Amino acid sequence: MTTYTIPSRQRNLLVAGMIIGILCLALSWFSDTDGQHTRFWSNFLHNSVFFTGIALMALFFYSVCNTAWAGWHVQFKRVWEAMGLFLGAGLILMAIMALGLIFGWHHLYHWADSASVESDSILQHKSSFLNPTWYIISIVIIGVWYFFARKLRSFSVTEDEQGGLKDFKLHIKSRWWTAGFLPIAGFSSALVIWQWVMSIDAHWYSTLFAWYSGASLFVSMIAMTILILIYMKSNGYYQNVSMEHFHDLGKFLFAFSIFWTYLWFSQYMLIWYSNNGEETVYFNTRHDQYPVLFYANLAINFLVPFFILMRNDTKRKYGSLIITSLLVIFGHWLDFFLMIKPGAAHTAHELAGHGEHHGHGGAMPDEHAAEAGHHGVEAAGSHGADAGHAAEAALHGGSSFEAGFTIPGFIELGTMIGFLCLFLYVFYTYMGRANLVAKNDPYLSESLHHHV
Amino acid sequence: MRKFNKDLIFGLYDDETDLMAAVKSAKKDHLEIYDVYSPFPVHGLDPILGLSESRLHIAGFIYGALGALTAFLGMTWIFTMDWPIIFGGKPYWSVPAFIPITFELTVLFAAIGMTVTFYVINGQGPGVTNPVLHDRITDDKFCLAFDTHHVEVNDAEAFFEKTGASLVDRKNI
Repeated sequence: MTTYTIPSRQRNLLVAGMIIGILCLALSWFSDTDGQHTRFWSNFLHNSVFFTGIALMALFFYSVCNTAWAGWHVQFKRVWEAMGLFLGAGLILMAIMALGLIFGWHHLYHWADSASVESDSILQHKSSFLNPTWYIISIVIIGVWYFFARKLRSFSVTEDEQGGLKDFKLHIKSRWWTAGFLPIAGFSSALVIWQWVMSIDAHWYSTLFAWYSGASLFVSMIAMTILILIYMKSNGYYQNVSMEHFHDLGKFLFAFSIFWTYLWFSQYMLIWYSNNGEETVYFNTRHDQYPVLFYANLAINFLVPFFILMRNDTKRKYGSLIITSLLVIFGHWLDFFLMIKPGAAHTAHELAGHGEHHGHGGAMPDEHAAEAGHHGVEAAGSHGADAGHAAEAALHGGSSFEAGFTIPGFIELGTMIGFLCLFLYVFYTYMGRANLVAKNDPYLSESLHHHV
Repeated sequence: MRKFNKDLIFGLYDDETDLMAAVKSAKKDHLEIYDVYSPFPVHGLDPILGLSESRLHIAGFIYGALGALTAFLGMTWIFTMDWPIIFGGKPYWSVPAFIPITFELTVLFAAIGMTVTFYVINGQGPGVTNPVLHDRITDDKFCLAFDTHHVEVNDAEAFFEKTGASLVDRKNI
């Protein structure tokens, strides 16, 4: 079967999933009592960033393979092309976030609140980057990525008509474009993820953050590719994608899970060791208030792929690949949950507390009082730890944010299903618009004879 | 020079595809192959030869686990019992600080252990030289060898003729 048509049953399932997602988003909107809809907006941001990032990583890896003259992936390169085209949907989703920021629909970003910035010298120093203009630039950057996705797709599809072993023109042209895309994606993705995710903890920063979250998205993308390919192969498509290809994808899943752990630990250990208050606040919050997620993150994203995929034969069996891929996608979704939610909750508390008890920590603003508390915890003095916990309790006591913040609730899972179905719907729509196999790609034969 | 006390008859092929075809045909004729030599690893040859998968990686896992345990338990003992020192205000038993060294020793033990195991199992070591059936095996020829105790010389010669070997010779190693 050379072309793909979505079976109506699958289409209905995906639409049903999207409806579930919309219902859950609506539920989170109306169940909020604080008037800021933090749960809705943080869910929206979390899933938009996650699936847009997967699309970017698909396009990125496609470009890496193309630039490196790789041949093994050519049979199923349309999968990555179609995943990359989800960037169009991501553009719309993130544009909604940007509009929300400009018009004040949401208050996820502490730095966007001018009252906070005025009384906060750290935010003032960062305001040359953390401002709405740069947020709009980040949306423009997705537009640039989407432009590249369209361009590369059009080269590839046109090659089906005109290319072949006698005419490499389009292939060479696409290689120039992919080579140009790599540095653009490398630098701009860091900028974008700082804006979208890292700036939620507006006082905190980490130079490793872009790499760390990028590795997270890359692993999710590989896991998604494995699941999609297994699904399509079991439905009669891609019969020439053999265990050799799955073996290589499994190796990427294994290796980049370890790479992710390496980056996670590098970030953690440097912050733990240097013990600066403005840095440790990030891990202190996550470790003390989110202990289940904190350790589950490591267990699912490191131990599971490490021990399951370590052996040669588990990378060549559908069962172990499916289980690992499912767990790892969910694990990295949790990872992003853990990056976004604590900061969003904190900002919401901060803003809610602005009017009522301003100057609660004496002369210091709330934020500084909390940080002094964190510092006390890290200094390992027992009275310091008590003070820190007291500060935390003061910040979070009697709040309405705990459900759906400290652990994903049903609303979060439903939203995830909705966004996943949207992703798959867009993906399969684009899959249906071109041949499944790029039949005139000069490396197709290499891919058919791929052997590990 | 190591002695194997084998009387071998072997044929040289010009191309690895010829070699693969010859191996398949030898399997079909039930001729017991002594060994195959090639200047580079030939993809897909191992399954045709029916070689079982190497178990070296299992040894590697055991050495790695041993290295991890050595490092972690060693540092635990040193920094909590033998010679406790406070570094940077951290507790004596600071797990994050132990991770890099645990990782290093895991890699070190696995690498050295696997190398030594590989050499011991294959009887290799400093100063050991192995007989070479034909010099061009290390250059551009692909060799298939039979042990004359198990395969009749006439059968082997007919086989090499049939499969298009460019050179057939006998050698005691």
